[in-house]
Amino acid sequence: MSEINKDIVQKQTQPEALQPEALQPEALQPEALQPAQFGYWKSLAQWNQDSEFQKAAAQEFQSSPLREEELTEEDRDGGWARREFLKLMGASLAMASTACIRRPVQKIVPYNKAVEEITFGLPNYYTSSYFDGAESLGLLVKTREGRPIKIDGNPKHPLNGGASSTRAQGSILSLYDPERLHGPRKISSGTAVETTWAEADASIVAQLQKGGVVVLTGALNSPATTALVKEFTQGFKAKHVQYEALSSEEIREGQKASYGDEAVPFYHFEKAKIIVSVDADFLGTWLAPTAFTRQFAAGRKDPATMNKLVSFDSNYSLTGANADIRVKIKPSQQVDVVMGLAHEIVVKKGASKFAAQSSVKSALAAFAETPTKLGISHELFSRLAEDLWKHKGQSLIVAGGLVTQTEAAKDLQVAVNFLNSVLENDGATVDGRSGFSGLKASTKAIFELIEEMKKGSVKTLVIHGVNPNYTLPSAAGFREAVKNVGMIISSSDRVDETGTVSSYVLPDNHPMESWGDAEIIDGVYTIQQPTIRPMYDTRSFQLSLMTWAKIAKVGGKRISSSDSYYDYVQAIWKDEIYSQVAKAAAKGTNKAAGFESFWDQALQTGVVDLGKQTKSSPARTFKLDALNSVKAKSASGLELVLYPTVNLGDGRFANISWLQELPDPVSKICWDNFAAVSLATAEKLQLKEKTLVELVIGGRSVKIPLYIQPGLHNDVVTVAIGYGRTAAGKIANNVGVNAFDFAKIEKGALIASGLIVELKPTQEAYKLACVAGNATMEGRKIVAEATLTEYLKEKGANNHRHKTFSIWSGHQYNGNKWGMAVDLNSCTGCSACMIACQAENNIPVVGKKYVLQGREMHWMRVDRYYVGNPENAEAVFQPVMCQQCDNAPCETVCPVLATVHSSEGLNDMTYNRCVGTRYCSNNCPYKVRRFNWFNFTGPVEKPLNLQYNPDVTVRPRGVMEKCTFCVHRIKAARNQSRLENRELKEGDIQTACEQVCPAKAIIFGDLNDPESRVAKIFKEEPRAYGLLEEFNAAPAVRYLTKIRNNDQEKRFPGTEGASHNKGGHA
Amino acid sequence: MHLRQNSTGRWRSLQGRSDVVSRVRAWMMIVGICTTTLFLSGCKWQFGWGYNQGYAPEQPLPFNHELHVGLHKIQCLYCHNQAERSPNASIPALSTCMNCHLLVKAESPFIQKLREASDKGESIPWVKVHMLPDHVKFSHSAHLAKGVNCEVCHGQVEKMIVLKQDSDLSMGWCINCHREPKYNAPLNCSTCHH
Repeated sequence: MSEINKDIVQKQTQPEALQPEALQPEALQPEALQPAQFGYWKSLAQWNQDSEFQKAAAQEFQSSPLREEELTEEDRDGGWARREFLKLMGASLAMASTACIRRPVQKIVPYNKAVEEITFGLPNYYTSSYFDGAESLGLLVKTREGRPIKIDGNPKHPLNGGASSTRAQGSILSLYDPERLHGPRKISSGTAVETTWAEADASIVAQLQKGGVVVLTGALNSPATTALVKEFTQGFKAKHVQYEALSSEEIREGQKASYGDEAVPFYHFEKAKIIVSVDADFLGTWLAPTAFTRQFAAGRKDPATMNKLVSFDSNYSLTGANADIRVKIKPSQQVDVVMGLAHEIVVKKGASKFAAQSSVKSALAAFAETPTKLGISHELFSRLAEDLWKHKGQSLIVAGGLVTQTEAAKDLQVAVNFLNSVLENDGATVDGRSGFSGLKASTKAIFELIEEMKKGSVKTLVIHGVNPNYTLPSAAGFREAVKNVGMIISSSDRVDETGTVSSYVLPDNHPMESWGDAEIIDGVYTIQQPTIRPMYDTRSFQLSLMTWAKIAKVGGKRISSSDSYYDYVQAIWKDEIYSQVAKAAAKGTNKAAGFESFWDQALQTGVVDLGKQTKSSPARTFKLDALNSVKAKSASGLELVLYPTVNLGDGRFANISWLQELPDPVSKICWDNFAAVSLATAEKLQLKEKTLVELVIGGRSVKIPLYIQPGLHNDVVTVAIGYGRTAAGKIANNVGVNAFDFAKIEKGALIASGLIVELKPTQEAYKLACVAGNATMEGRKIVAEATLTEYLKEKGANNHRHKTFSIWSGHQYNGNKWGMAVDLNSCTGCSACMIACQAENNIPVVGKKYVLQGREMHWMRVDRYYVGNPENAEAVFQPVMCQQCDNAPCETVCPVLATVHSSEGLNDMTYNRCVGTRYCSNNCPYKVRRFNWFNFTGPVEKPLNLQYNPDVTVRPRGVMEKCTFCVHRIKAARNQSRLENRELKEGDIQTACEQVCPAKAIIFGDLNDPESRVAKIFKEEPRAYGLLEEFNAAPAVRYLTKIRNNDQEKRFPGTEGASHNKGGHA
Repeated sequence: MHLRQNSTGRWRSLQGRSDVVSRVRAWMMIVGICTTTLFLSGCKWQFGWGYNQGYAPEQPLPFNHELHVGLHKIQCLYCHNQAERSPNASIPALSTCMNCHLLVKAESPFIQKLREASDKGESIPWVKVHMLPDHVKFSHSAHLAKGVNCEVCHGQVEKMIVLKQDSDLSMGWCINCHREPKYNAPLNCSTCHH
């Protein structure tokens, strides 16, 4: 860092808002905390001005080969010590110099017969679908020369549109996972032995004919697979059990008790003006987060009429982080929150049709003192109730997910349904008639199955799509029960935890290699279209069922008349879906086209929507009897909260390196799970970060790293599930702790939340890879926020301009000038953009060791800032990518002109010119440049390299890289427009991050086109501001201030202003 | 320099005493000058090292561009038909060859070899002539759309019995055209490097 920069940094580390002398560690007692002292902070280390943190912040690179003393013994053994590095450098130089005389001979092997639809060098897109047991998406898969390279949402899909989730983006890597099985395996005494399909089929059919067959699958939302399994189970007199680790059973049970029909309803967040979420992480992990985020963000586009999100949060979830008002609770208080609100409305206000019913009043009486119990002000609670009643029919209460799997899970659902009925939301924002029809999985069913297995009545168990040996706690006894089963057949793509206790592992095709279908919500159908021929000797699970039924000569007509599963899917579509379309068409004047053209059209658009959602759904009658079981509970002690993360979910994608390295949106920790507690609890129990703690639960104890999470309830300890796999592959094995094992089984139900645990300190050191300390902007005020009250007074509240001047006339942009706008009010921080960017731009994964050294390679990051004191910290998210400055500081310092300004306003990065001085990174005020310290891409195991995007250069060691605004997409769109003999127009170019964003928070376009959305934002939007405007780097990205709809007059003091360093204010 | 060549052709110092020292010094100087020249000279002085200009490898079948293009006047785009819409010009599939060679010159041993490969569902491993490094992204369609014809880069293919690389395909050579006002071509780094 140059002297000048150092000077600036020293000034900036002590902005007015952060007063270090008032924040000595001894001042960290909660009662001493006053919000007035705080601005925005990224980690507790920053908040309390930790000396180590400040030392790290002053350096651009946390470690470098020059600081050899930091290398551990392991580093040296690992071969990356400096001497080794130079040796390798020498070798590659020598090779390069001999090779440049004559290049190696390359071959071109053309097709034998020209393939009609493939043009070399151009992508093909296929519609398909995705399902991970809870969320289902309509996809558009990009393939190049016959191999899928990128997954995106299908823009024509009514639910997710062009958006997709982190996990859907990452699932492409599971196709190219080097550890997939290449063919069927027989497991004998713990080892997998190769076998043939014919051999396996023969012995399996012989076994199936003995009877006692159970087919265990995950949730099935595929009409064809559901029908096939039904036909198969009828044929073999078998039983079908649907199980998911993250089932929505409690919702279905609650619906049944409250309304009589057992289905997961569909929710309309876009119609809600006020949303109350009780531990339902609908923006992150609950049911269909991509579709919900889309709906939720749509209600926040115009801040003047924006919705309000109130979150009662046991875990610091993504939904809680986005809430306008977040209230920390513990799991045992979930029911109180909902019933308390009902009490405020029905009893105190005497509102709603239930007010006159004495049974309701007596059921609610116990919840009169809820605000006191929650430790929040009565005023806030009654104002919330007031707000809800004011927006009756336009409000929404949701609860659910693993965090609500307490003993009272069903009661909570009943309470939620009651409150929704009180507020007349049922039929308006809750659509109970046409919901998620595929989510029928049950945890109770698998416990019954285990009982049967123990009894020995199950002779053959066929397992598809689930991994019970990993997702069930050991107390469930699955491992013991399998010993009584004659044969277990697993269709997993590897010998996973369940595979190790199976007799056969018959690898299923990857969803991208197989035909299939999905009914995502009632009446919305999608075909799952294969985009590549099966890479290995695998067979789809469905075809296996069909084959066995045919060999045994059982099963129905459809099985015997279909040669392949493709035929079967078509038959189902013809009989069940096309018939409905044809019937509807017959009523109108249009005659339906034949099935062939219907099928082709369904493939082309990727969705068939029978329009069941658009019909208004009448309100259902709430059964008041259901309320009888809802009782107030009180609990004391540290309560355990298990939660799925946005990256890993239930852990089925744990072997995808992108997802492991994606920092958790809130904690910003990757490659680990941990036990999180509040600061006060950590101090009380003397638990320290960077150490392991002992988590004692039900007499067992597990060592797990500790993390202090701001904003947690003092009686809560949270642990993420999805980690601690033992047979998933090289990437996932032994990463973290398997938290499923902490769950308890009581009365045949799984209790994952609210269990009383103990935490004990240990002296063992353990480092968590947290990126929140990396790339800090050192206390400069980067994010701008205003309350709705402030916004309504002045649209540009807390966002003031700086007078800047330049002694230079600046660049001329005669053609296009690219710019981007990021709406912080829409962004939920879900981090799908980071994975989309990684997939699009061949960004390597570096592993935990290098993340710890600050060497992660993500071109864009999503910063999470906390604001307020650590007890009740609120969060703000801010995606930061290269700002493509007009007066770019990086360009002026490059000694070899590897980064120069383009005529369209981009900071071009020329990899082949870069010699790796890293001056540019040092001089970048936004810390968006990434350096290839090692050859991260070189050793990528085959066939993972097939995923690489051929339009983007794969960078070698020693080269700087950064966001390019997807310049290859700009170029491709321009070429296309030229071929079509037209000008580029708005919407032709979408960057990868813009395309994937469910909140539509990122907008890209041409600033020279006055009609473009970005140009209008740059010119007219009072909320728009540039990062560190006063330095006049003139970034081409504008952020729109975040608006908090929280009834407050002002934000916390010390948070005004986007950036407030120097320069005159306009 | 106190050096001279003796009868055996070896360099020897005139002053025997500091023989070794001065020899080492002289070599160091020569090596130093060469390295400095190389470093300072940049692209211009590299004498085309590393470029493949004139590269005309032997192909598995002696395909004759002079015969096809020069004599029979077959358009480039008949075979390289993707050049107009794709970044890659592509070598035609065997089925394109067989469009004519099912009948034309069917008795030639080379055509029989081609036919055999075609019938068996195999392909011909042609040797790639025009090679760009992986960090260079070139688009045929963009150039054709701008009216830059094939021969501008590929030379007079109609006179090539064995196809050879006509231009050196160096960056300087690309830039020369991009600088010409008549093409109005972009000169950004990201035009080719991304």
